[in-house]
Amino acid sequence: MSPPDAATEPPLVQLSGVSLCYRLAKQRIPSLKEYAIHWMKGALSYEKLWALRDVDFTARRGEVVGIVGRNGAGKSTLLKVISQVLKPTGGKIEIRGRIAPILELGTGFDHELTGMENIYLNALLLGRSRKEIDARLAQIVDFSGLGDFVRAPIRNFSTGMLARLGFSIATAWLPDILILDEVLAVGDASFTKKCTDRMREFHDAGTTVLLVSHNAQAIRDSCTRCVWLDAGRVRIDGSPPEVLDHYAHDRGTEPVERQPG
Amino acid sequence: MREIYRYRDLILALVARELKVRYRRSTIGFLWTMLQPLLMMGVYQLVFSHLFRFPIADYAIYALAGILFWNFFSQSIVSSMNSLRGNAQLLQKLPVPKAVFPLATVLSGVLNLLFALVPMLLILLFTRHTLHLSLLFLPVAILLAALFTLGAGLLLSPLAVFFHDVVELIGVLLTLLMYLTPLFYRMQDLPEKVRWVVRFNPVRSILEVFRDPIYYAKVPPLSHLAVCLTIALVALAVGAYAFKRSSDRIPFYV
Repeated sequence: MSPPDAATEPPLVQLSGVSLCYRLAKQRIPSLKEYAIHWMKGALSYEKLWALRDVDFTARRGEVVGIVGRNGAGKSTLLKVISQVLKPTGGKIEIRGRIAPILELGTGFDHELTGMENIYLNALLLGRSRKEIDARLAQIVDFSGLGDFVRAPIRNFSTGMLARLGFSIATAWLPDILILDEVLAVGDASFTKKCTDRMREFHDAGTTVLLVSHNAQAIRDSCTRCVWLDAGRVRIDGSPPEVLDHYAHDRGTEPVERQPG
Repeated sequence: MREIYRYRDLILALVARELKVRYRRSTIGFLWTMLQPLLMMGVYQLVFSHLFRFPIADYAIYALAGILFWNFFSQSIVSSMNSLRGNAQLLQKLPVPKAVFPLATVLSGVLNLLFALVPMLLILLFTRHTLHLSLLFLPVAILLAALFTLGAGLLLSPLAVFFHDVVELIGVLLTLLMYLTPLFYRMQDLPEKVRWVVRFNPVRSILEVFRDPIYYAKVPPLSHLAVCLTIALVALAVGAYAFKRSSDRIPFYV
């Protein structure tokens, strides 16, 4: 379970009044010439798409927070902001501790390289040093269950195999904060179990987990808290059964699912 | 800065990958970098001693030294402009310091230049039967060239993300710049009227630092070095500043 000082320790993730705006050019302006023309006309207008509006969010050590919401509600954007991939347009964000962001498995894989070479490349991209990787290499290969395949170029790997490799690399080190964006949906049953086990292991060691999922049962089972994002705002932040009930109810009253924005 | 140092192993891996990708498809691999200058030298010898005659002694060496420098400069610029866009996916999913990409590109350019210098030195040895001590100055020249090029790459790579056609535009400008750089001619061969344009071309200044030891077998004068160091540092400072300022916006546009 979480260490006793979890309540007094400052939260690992703290967002106050965070907003993020994607500026979509009203007219597509792909060229300098058009940019110059529009600029001179003073017609450089953007459609503002607020993916996050005034979001307050904290996560303490050892919490497992599930994030739910419709497509385009800002779930992935929120995870990207917390992962420090996207800088918010407004608001304050404080992160204490090391993050393992898994926004997509196998980001940065080079399909011409072998599995082994990709382990290095990927872990280096995650900010590890060569020495650290050397020390964990055997463990990563072992966890992926790919055996001798790691010596083959990954261009022939199946999606499931890539996911196994990606997850093994990203979770080879115990992070303070683990961020998962619906990545556990791929892979076969045995690997999904391995992943869930590892998450539990992290949780027991005090890692804070933030995950986006459309699987209500998974959230009910593994989360200690649940946040419902709606159109970029936090609608409810509470216990998983409570939030999921409201969320399900809301969906029931609005039969037509909006398409992703 | 410290971020980038923390990611030094990544930078080295990116450099290694870039070199590997570059030579993977060819059968003789990176020997090409070495062989190419030799063949180019043959071409220059052929073309300029028979077709066009320039009043420059050892013309092929003069031209080759210039071309090696120019290839490093222009290829590094073009690749660093593509380096961010080529890693778009990554920049949207991982919190990597973005400068590692142009940095790795310029570094692999430096390595290619070093490979290409091996045959250059061989050619010097064969034609002049000696290697002058001034060649020991080359590392300094290459460092200056690398700093200057890195500055330009840092300035241009975010720009290429925000405006895709900057890549085309820079391609044209590089061609213009090439003719304004005395690669195939000497300053004194130019008409008085246009000489000042070439004189104020910073690439020309850096080129001379590189070519002086190779062609003239001399270390460039200290005053010229001071000018070049200033140019290189200013370019780097401007590039680093521009990159830092636009860095947060890059993932939104790639």
